[in-house]
Amino acid sequence: MSAPLLETRNLTKAFGQKTGWLAKPKILCASSSIDLQLNARERLGIVGESGSGKSTLGRLILGLTPPTEGEIFFEGVNHKARSLQGWKQFRVRTSLVQQNPLSALNPQMTIGEQISEGLLVHHFASRAASYERAAAMLDQVGLSSAMMSRYPHQMSGGQRQRVVIARALILDPKLVVFDEAVSALDVSVQAQVVALLRDLWQQRDLAYVFITHDLRVVRHVVDRIAVMYLGRVVETGDIKSVYEWPRHPYTRALLASVPSMDPTIRNIQPPINGELDPGKIAGGCPFRPRCPFAIERCGTEAPLLRDVAGQRVACHRAEEFPRSVQMGKEVA
Amino acid sequence: MPRLLTVQDLVVEVPGRNIKILNGVSFSLDAGQTLGLVGESGCGKSMTCYAIGNMLPRGLGQAGGSISFGSGESGSERPTIAMIFQDPTSSLNPVHTIGYYLETALYRHQRLRGNDARLEAMRLLERVGIDNAKSRLGAYPHQFSGGMNQRVMIAHALAAKPQLLIADEPTTALDVTMQAQILYLLEELKAETGMALMIVSHDLGVIARLADKAAVMYCGKIVETAPVEQIIQNPSHPYARALINCMPSIDPADHQPPVPIPGSVPLLDDLPQGCYYNPRCPRAAGECFKRFPPLAPVAQAHNVACYHPVAA
Ligand SMILES: Nc1ncnc2c1ncn2[C@@H]1O[C@H](COP(=O)(O)OP(=O)(O)O)[C@@H](O)[C@H]1O
Ligand SMILES: Nc1ncnc2c1ncn2[C@@H]1O[C@H](COP(=O)(O)OP(=O)(O)O)[C@@H](O)[C@H]1O
Ligand code: SF4
Ligand SMILES: [Mg+2]
Ligand SMILES: [Mg+2]
Repeated sequence: MSAPLLETRNLTKAFGQKTGWLAKPKILCASSSIDLQLNARERLGIVGESGSGKSTLGRLILGLTPPTEGEIFFEGVNHKARSLQGWKQFRVRTSLVQQNPLSALNPQMTIGEQISEGLLVHHFASRAASYERAAAMLDQVGLSSAMMSRYPHQMSGGQRQRVVIARALILDPKLVVFDEAVSALDVSVQAQVVALLRDLWQQRDLAYVFITHDLRVVRHVVDRIAVMYLGRVVETGDIKSVYEWPRHPYTRALLASVPSMDPTIRNIQPPINGELDPGKIAGGCPFRPRCPFAIERCGTEAPLLRDVAGQRVACHRAEEFPRSVQMGKEVA
Repeated sequence: MPRLLTVQDLVVEVPGRNIKILNGVSFSLDAGQTLGLVGESGCGKSMTCYAIGNMLPRGLGQAGGSISFGSGESGSERPTIAMIFQDPTSSLNPVHTIGYYLETALYRHQRLRGNDARLEAMRLLERVGIDNAKSRLGAYPHQFSGGMNQRVMIAHALAAKPQLLIADEPTTALDVTMQAQILYLLEELKAETGMALMIVSHDLGVIARLADKAAVMYCGKIVETAPVEQIIQNPSHPYARALINCMPSIDPADHQPPVPIPGSVPLLDDLPQGCYYNPRCPRAAGECFKRFPPLAPVAQAHNVACYHPVAA
C-alpha cells in the first residue's frame, strides 16, 4: 500500500478568545484531535452546522493556518518539514475554491488572464501557450472561449463559479478543497456545478474535500463523509452507508432536519433544539447538551471514535439506533 | 374560508426604463391559508412580498393591476400584515435592545405601555422559544445568533397580531437544524393564531412542508399555481418540473444525481420573444416563440402558463 495522499494526525487548532477587558483568553477549539486519511482520487465530504470547524479544517489541510498541535502529511511529507521550495510545490498541487465567486475574482482582470495567471506565475508556459490552455480549461468547465476577454461582472453567478473552478484546476492539482462552493447558488445552477464536478473528477487524477452545510448536495459528489460537531469528527464512513444508517445522534438529527419533499410530512417537532454553542464544551460528550439520547455516562466520559459496522462513530450508544432515519421526521 | 387577498395582473416597473420586475402577477389567498412562492433568485419573489406589504423600494412603483383585500368590495379593510426577512440580524436596528424593539411594536399595535408592554414582550419571547426572556430584553441584536434574531423578528411580527405573515426566505441563512426549529414554530403559530402565511423560499422542501398552495415564478411572472401536492408530485409547467428535478435527493435508495436546467435565467432587459422559458425548454415549439402563454386552468385550482404543459 502506498502512503495516502493526505493524512492528518491528532490535528488540533485552538483559538484564544478574549471574553473581556484584561480577561484571560478562553480557548475555543475549532478542531481537535482530527485524524483523516484521503487517498488519491478520493472525495471526502465534511458537514456540520456553521461554527463546527469545517473551514478551519480546510485551511489547516492547505497549510493556510498552522495547527496548534498535530501533523499534516501530503504525499508523505509533513507540513512542518516543508521547505520554501516544498511549499511552492504544494501550492501547485493543491487548491481552494470558496463560496463567493465574485469576491474570489479580480474585477480588473479578464477571465482569460485570471485563469492563465497560475501558469505564468509558476513559469509553466509561455503567455501564448498559457492562454491556449486557459481556453481549453474554460471549455472543460462548459464555458465558451469567447468568455476569455470578459470581466467577472459581465457574467452570471453560475458562470463565475465555473471560472473559479477552472482557475483552481488549471495547474492540474491532486487535491482541491471546496469550501461551500455551491452553497450560494440557485438549485438549478447548483445542479449544473454538481454535474460539472462529477465530469471533471471522472477525467482527472483529482482528490477533493467538499465542505458544506448542505446535506442534500454533498451526497451526490463524495465517496466518504465526515460529520463535525464542535471541532470534532463525530461520525465518518462511506457516504452510502452513513446515509442509509446514520449511527450518531447528531448525524441522524442533521439528516432528519432536511425538509422532506413529501407534502404530507408536516407539524414535525425539530429533531434537536438549540444551536451549537462553543461556550458549552464541558466534560463528557460534546453533543450531550442537545442530545435526546444522553445517559449518565455521556456526562462523565467522552466517547471516542470507534468502529461501528464499518463506520467510525463517537457515541456511547451508537449500536442502539434503528436503521432508517425518516427524513423530515423526528429521530427514533 | 373567506378570501383575504386577491392580486390581479400586478405590474411593478423600474420607471424610465422598460423593465417590468413583476409582469402580470395574479393569485389569491384565503384567511388562514399558506401560499408558498418559489423560483430562482431575481424572479421577483421579494418584490411580490413588498408590493403586498405596501413597502416597495423607493423608485419602484406599481404600474398596473390591483391588490385587493377581503371580498374585494370597496370598503374592505386592509388586513394587518407583518413581514419577516432572510437576514434578521441586519434588519434589526443595532442600537436598540430587543426589549425596546418589541415594546415599541406593542405600543404601536396594541397601545400597551410600561409594565404591560414589558410583560407581553416577555411572553412573546418565550413563545418564540427564547429562554430567560426577562434578561434577554436588555440584549442587543449583535449578542444573538441568526436563529435567535429570527425568533425575535417573529415575536415582533406577532406583536401586530397579523392576519397575514409574509416570510421572505426566513430560513435561508440558517443551518438545517435551526431551520427545522423555525419551521415547526411557524406551524405552531399558524395553528394558534389562524393567520395566513405567505412563505417565500427557493427550497422546495420548505414549500412542501408549509404551503397549502404554491406558485412558481419565472422572470416576474407566475407560471404555475396549484395545491402544493400537485406542484410537487405532478408539476405541469416544464420549468416547475425542471426545478423539482434539480433538487438533489436525500433518499438513500435514490441515486439519481440532480438534473441541471440548461442555460440560465434571462435578464429582465433582454427577455426572449414569446415564453420567457423557451430558450431552456425542451418542449418549446411554434406558439412558444410568439406570445407569452396566458395562465390557464389545467385542473381544479391548478393553473399553468404553458402551450405544451406536461400531462398529469
Ligand atoms: N481566526 C479566528 N479567530 C478566532 N476564532 C475563530 C477563527 N476562525 C474560526 N474561529 C472559530 O472557530 C470555530 C469554527 O469556525 P469555522 O471553521 O469557520 O466553522 P465552519 O466553517 O464549520 O462554520 C467558530 O467558533 C469560529 O468562531
Ligand atoms: N431597486 C431596484 N431597481 C431595479 N431593479 C431592481 C430593484 N430591486 C430589485 N430589482 C430587480 O428586480 C428583480 C426581482 O428581484 P427580487 O424580487 O428581489 O427577486 P427574488 O426575491 O425572487 O430573488 C431582480 O431581477 C432584481 O435585479
Ligand atoms: S455519547 Fe451520549 S450524549 Fe453523546 S451522542 Fe451518544 S448518546 Fe448522545
Ligand atoms: Mg465555513
Ligand atoms: Mg428575494
